[in-house]
Amino acid sequence: MPTRSCGPFSAQGTHRRAKFPLPVPTSFSPPLSLAAIDVAVTYPNGLSALRDASFRLDGGTICALVGVNGSGKSTLFKALMGFVTPTTGRVEIDGRPVREAQKQSWVAYVPQAEEVDWTFPVSVHDVVMMGRYGYMNFLRIASTADRAAVETSLRRVGMWDYRDRQIGELSGGQKKRVFVARALAQNGRVILLDEPFTGVDVGTEEAIVTLLRELRDEGRLILVSTHNLGSVPEFCDQVVLINRTVLAYGPTSEVFTAENLTRAFGGALRLFDLAQSTVNDHDGRSVTVLTDDERPLVLGKRGHLEYLDRTGREQLISDREEEQKGKS
Amino acid sequence: MFTFLLAPFHYDYMVTALWTSALIGGVCGLLSGFVTLKGWSLMGDALSHAVVPGVAIAYLLGLPFAVGAFTSGLLAAGAMAFVKMKTPVREDAVIGIVFTAFFALGLLLISLFPSRVDLKGIIFGNILGIATGDVVQVVIVSAVCLLVLALKWRDLMLFCFDPNQARALGLRVGALHVMLLLLLSATAVAALQAVGAMLVVAMLVTPGATAYLLTDRFSVMLRIGAALGALTSFFGAYLSYFLDGATGGCIVSLQTLGFVAALLFAPKHGVFASRRTLRRARAQEAAVP
Repeated sequence: MPTRSCGPFSAQGTHRRAKFPLPVPTSFSPPLSLAAIDVAVTYPNGLSALRDASFRLDGGTICALVGVNGSGKSTLFKALMGFVTPTTGRVEIDGRPVREAQKQSWVAYVPQAEEVDWTFPVSVHDVVMMGRYGYMNFLRIASTADRAAVETSLRRVGMWDYRDRQIGELSGGQKKRVFVARALAQNGRVILLDEPFTGVDVGTEEAIVTLLRELRDEGRLILVSTHNLGSVPEFCDQVVLINRTVLAYGPTSEVFTAENLTRAFGGALRLFDLAQSTVNDHDGRSVTVLTDDERPLVLGKRGHLEYLDRTGREQLISDREEEQKGKS
Repeated sequence: MFTFLLAPFHYDYMVTALWTSALIGGVCGLLSGFVTLKGWSLMGDALSHAVVPGVAIAYLLGLPFAVGAFTSGLLAAGAMAFVKMKTPVREDAVIGIVFTAFFALGLLLISLFPSRVDLKGIIFGNILGIATGDVVQVVIVSAVCLLVLALKWRDLMLFCFDPNQARALGLRVGALHVMLLLLLSATAVAALQAVGAMLVVAMLVTPGATAYLLTDRFSVMLRIGAALGALTSFFGAYLSYFLDGATGGCIVSLQTLGFVAALLFAPKHGVFASRRTLRRARAQEAAVP
């Protein structure tokens, strides 16, 4: 019998009764603000990755950091984490330098899958315990509270039953969940996720989104770096658009416009205009598909293929009509 | 028969050589876990060669060899960091340039003063003839390394596995980097006495690589590595008494045998285990219609 609800991942495996009372997640800590103020980063080789980047976010929101490769997106991400020091300008968390926020374990980081050495001999439990280092003493010996936090976090993402697995022996979605659990164990109040949905199955993606919403409702600030445009309006409250600087930031509905996206992506965006359909009669209604990565496969009425290039295919609609008449 | 096998223990110099070897082997084996996982094997090789001019100068000036070796190793590490930062030359090339330069300087110094520095001792090690003063230095270096590792191995593990997480938690990643580099130089200096500059890298890599094949837990890997290092070094020195061969050669050959055994027979990552798993998977596939 499961003794407690395990959130979005509860479908995963069965859960044994906890050995000790689990602490209620220390939620509802006052939301922190995160601000970039005129951040510029110039690398030692003279390459200017970012200039005059400014924005401000408050806790209790999910915000997407959107930009193409080479837009300075990952540089801004690193500056927010304190991994690179801005050449000019500064990043403030709760009005303080990043370094101080780090020492409070406020900043949690969920890395991209490619950044992790999956052959390293550590177990799932070991990895999540790494989120607790900031709460431990000089020798980093885990206390009961640390173990409890690790267990709660692993149960919350449905990975407790996998705690003794070596991390390389997990699926893409499971791997991601382990690192989300580490951010939970750390009780990070600003959680940054780098491309969280790459190599993750749809089920896990939905579960992660549900979990992120819960975390947002606990007052945490969730920042997601992504190039997956389609997923942004689905779960992000706010967007920061980047192309060498911050082009726009604010609520998704205001920022995520075709005009802004074109500015952010320039020619790097594929445009699939369905105003002229190859399979449907043109009725004046219009849908435009934007994608930066892969060509979308678009199927129209009755599962017929839509073609991006319609010249020479004008007769398709009438052909289909004939087919349909013949069948009925 | 027993008297024959116990013969080495009748000589003070052999007893000293045996336990000193075991100590050095243990410390190197412990550190080798970090070296292999951090991908610093080449760095270990470089540092072990780069200490040679320091040793030569220390002997010439009558200073403790460890001081000279350590300084020289750090200068090399600093030079590598400098060249890497200032030029776009790739890291392996930078390491190759710097350590050969140091090693060449060492060889030159030794050849200029052949009567005062023992070339063979530095290159091939001379644990059976180790001087008492050198034993003291080895013990001090080893004790400091063991203490630092005992206190900080979890931080160093995080640094090796996920430096970004270490940084996000406010740990001083630069300091951890330097700490690991210092430990590497220190153990390279100690191992110089046991196996010589040519073979130090084996002591710093092979036990860790062997242990890596045997376990999926980092703490267990460190323990296996240390045990392997200590045992192979002890028995390597012991065997060299009977074989009348180079101690370093004996130790490293034993370590290699251990690695080959693990490569073949490791329960999970060994060649035979992989074949078994593959065969079982195929059998299962065949069973499913």
